[in-house]
Amino acid sequence: MSENMINPVPEGANKAGVASSDRRKFLRKSVALAAGGAAIAATTSANAADGLKTWTTPLKNEPTRHMLGRGVVSVPYGLPSKYEAGVVRRNVGWLTADTIASISFTPWQDLHGIITPNGLHFERYHAGAVDVDPEKHRLVVHGMVKQPMIFTVDDLKRMPSHTAIHFLECPANGAMEWRGVQMDSLQFTHGMMSCSEWTGVKLTTLMEMVGVDPKSTWFYGEGTDGSALQRSIPMEGAHDQHGKPIPALYTSHYRDAMVCYAMNGEALRPENGYPIRLFVPGFEANVSTKYLRRLMFVDKPLVTYQETKHYIEVLPNGLIRQYDLVNEANSVITSPCPDFKMNGKGTYEIRGIAWSGYGKIKHVDISVDGGKNWTEATLTEPVLSKCLTKFTLPFQWDGSENLIMSRATDETGYVQPTLKQLREVRGFNSIYHKNSIQVWKIEKTGEVKNVQIENV
Amino acid sequence: MSKSKMSNWGLGLAAAAVALTLSNSAFAFDTSADKSAPKVSGIGMNITDAAIKPWNISYFYDGTNLPDGSGTVSAGEKIYSAQCAMCHGDFGEGAHGYPKMVGDPVDQFEASAKAGVDAVSNRGLNNNWGNAPTLMDMIHRAMPFYAPGTLTTDEAYSVTCYVMNLASIPGVGDDFVCDKTSLPKIKMPAEPLYVTNSGPDTDNTRCMKDCYKGTEFVVEKAASIGDVSVGKVQKKDSQ
Ligand code: HEC
Repeated sequence: MSENMINPVPEGANKAGVASSDRRKFLRKSVALAAGGAAIAATTSANAADGLKTWTTPLKNEPTRHMLGRGVVSVPYGLPSKYEAGVVRRNVGWLTADTIASISFTPWQDLHGIITPNGLHFERYHAGAVDVDPEKHRLVVHGMVKQPMIFTVDDLKRMPSHTAIHFLECPANGAMEWRGVQMDSLQFTHGMMSCSEWTGVKLTTLMEMVGVDPKSTWFYGEGTDGSALQRSIPMEGAHDQHGKPIPALYTSHYRDAMVCYAMNGEALRPENGYPIRLFVPGFEANVSTKYLRRLMFVDKPLVTYQETKHYIEVLPNGLIRQYDLVNEANSVITSPCPDFKMNGKGTYEIRGIAWSGYGKIKHVDISVDGGKNWTEATLTEPVLSKCLTKFTLPFQWDGSENLIMSRATDETGYVQPTLKQLREVRGFNSIYHKNSIQVWKIEKTGEVKNVQIENV
Repeated sequence: MSKSKMSNWGLGLAAAAVALTLSNSAFAFDTSADKSAPKVSGIGMNITDAAIKPWNISYFYDGTNLPDGSGTVSAGEKIYSAQCAMCHGDFGEGAHGYPKMVGDPVDQFEASAKAGVDAVSNRGLNNNWGNAPTLMDMIHRAMPFYAPGTLTTDEAYSVTCYVMNLASIPGVGDDFVCDKTSLPKIKMPAEPLYVTNSGPDTDNTRCMKDCYKGTEFVVEKAASIGDVSVGKVQKKDSQ
C-alpha cells in the first residue's frame, strides 16, 4: 500500500475539488431528506393533507402495472436493478500512483448480509487484473516433497472439494485512519474486506498427494500476474530468518487453506484470481495469492518484497514487525453509517458485521453513549469461524447526539481494542491491522460522521 | 471406503468383514499427514525438479537460488535512467507517487517512528529493506512495472547494484559487482530492525456498565481534508 495512506492531508486531495464534492454530498443528502420528509409528514403530522397526497400518489399510478416486462434471457447474466447503479466498488484516487497497483472498496453501506456479491468484492492488485486462460494454466507443487506434481485446472476440479464461507480482508483495511479521521464513509473505512463462499481443493489434499516432507515448515504460493506475487506461510515448527520460532497461533491456519476455483458458487472473477487462487482463511488477504501457478514447500521463509516493504508494521520503538498474519477480531456498524443521513426520529435497527481471523464471533456489544454503557447485540445465524457475523440491536433515535460503536469478542476471548489502546502499542506508523472500535457520531441534524475518541 | 461399506451392508451378512474393512480404512487415515485429507489417485502428473527449474524464479533472503550472472553499478545506471527513473525519480526520490528508492537515513527513520511523527512516507531501500537478495528477487520478477520480468539476469543484477549505490547502502561503492555470492554479504542498514510478531498485543476487556467517567475527547475530520465519498452522489447528480 502506498505510503500516502496514513497522511492526514494527502497532497493533491484538495485539488480534486473540495467545493464541488461538498456540493455533491450536500445535494445527495438533501435528496434523502426530501424523500424522508414526506414520510415523516404522513406519519407524524395530523393535518398534513398535502404530505399524505404525495405519499399515496404512487398507489394510483404504478407505471409497471399495465405493461409487459422483459422476456427471459433478455439479460442472460443478470444484473442489479438500474436503480441500484450507485452500489459499486470505488477507489480513492490519491491513495496510489495509479489504478494498477491499487485497491478498491466494497460498498458495505449498501449490503445487507454477510455474503459479498462477486461483482462487489474488493480488489487489490500489485500489477493489475489479468485474464488467465484456464486451459493453458498449470499449478506446480514442489520443493521438499516426495513427488513434485503438475495439475491442470480440470484436475483440481475433479479432486475431493471443500466449501466454506470466510471473510477475506486486506490488512490495510482502515489504514487511512491511524493518524486521524480521514474518510467520512463506511465504504472507505472498512471496504477492503469481503466475504464469500469459497470452493476448491484443500491444501492438505495436495500435500498428501505430493508427500510433503515433515521437515518442511514453510510454504509459499506464487501468482502468474506481473507482480508474480509470493508470500511465505508458516506451518508447525516454523522459525523466522533469525531462528526465532513463529508463534503457534500462526502455524495451523494453513490446515484450512485451499486452492480455490469458485466463489459464491461460480468461477472466480478475474479480479479475484481466476482461474485459481490460494486462500488461507483468517490470514491477511495478501498471503492468498491470486492466479496461483506454484506452491513450494521449504524449511525457511523467503522474506519476500511483500514481507519486507509492504505488509510490515513500523512500531513506536522504531522496530519493523513482520508476520503479523491474522486479522484479529473486528466489527463495524453498517447502519447507521456516514454514507447515509438519518431519516427522522423513531425506530431504527443498528446493524453491523463482526469477524475474527482466530475463529467464531462470541459477542458483539453496542454502545450509543460513547462507550460508557454497552448492550449485547443479537447475532444472526450462521455464526461461522473466520467469517462475517451479522449483528442487530433495536434503536430508538430521539433526535439527540449519539456516539455509536460496536465491540466484538471472539471465541478465544480476545476483545476488539479501542483506538487509544491500539495506538499505545502500535503508534501512528503501523498502517496495517487497524481493528480498533469504530465510532460514528449521529448529529442532531441526522448527519452521521466518522469520529475518533482519543482519550478512552 | 463408502463403496465397500455399502456392498457389505447390502449383503446383510459377514458383520466381521464390515468391521475389518472399516478398521483398515481407519488405520490408513491415522497414518496420513492429515485426517481430513482423502487419498487421491489418477489425477495430475508427476514432474521432475529439473523440469520445474525455469519456473522457480524465487530468490530467498539469504541468497538461496540466486541465478548465475552478474551486474555492475555503471551498467545499472544506464538501465535505471531508461527504464526506472520516470517512476522512481532521477535520484531515487520517487516520482508521480511511485515508491522512493532512497528514504530518510535509518537513524532518522527510527527517530521519527519513536517520536510518533510520519516515518512511513519516507521509506526507502536504506531504511525499510532487510536483505539485498530480496531486492534482486523483486526487481527481476516485477520491474520495470510496465513490462515485468523482462530484464535479463545480468540487467537485473546491474540495476539492483545501481539502486543500492543510489541509496548509499554501505559497501556498495561505484565499482561493486553484484552476483550470487556478493549480494548475501551486504548488510542492509534496516536489517537489525526487523522482528517477528509474537501475537495479539492489546488486552481490552468486555466492560458493560459505567466503563469510564468524564467526557470523551471526540475528534472529527479536519476541515482541510477533501471529501471523497462522492461516487454515489455523482450518480444522483448526473441523473
Ligand atoms: C511505471 C512506473 C514504474 C517503473 C517504470 C518502474 N517501477 Fe519500480 N515500482 C513501481 C510500482 C507501482 C511499485 C510498487 C509495486 C507494488 O505495489 O507491488 C514499484 C516498486 C519498486 C521497488 C520496491 C520499492 C518499494 O519501496 O516498494 C523497487 C526496488 C523497484 N520498483 C525498482 C524498479 C526498477 C529497478 C525499475 C527499472 C528497471 C523500476 N522499478 C521501474 C512502478 C515503477
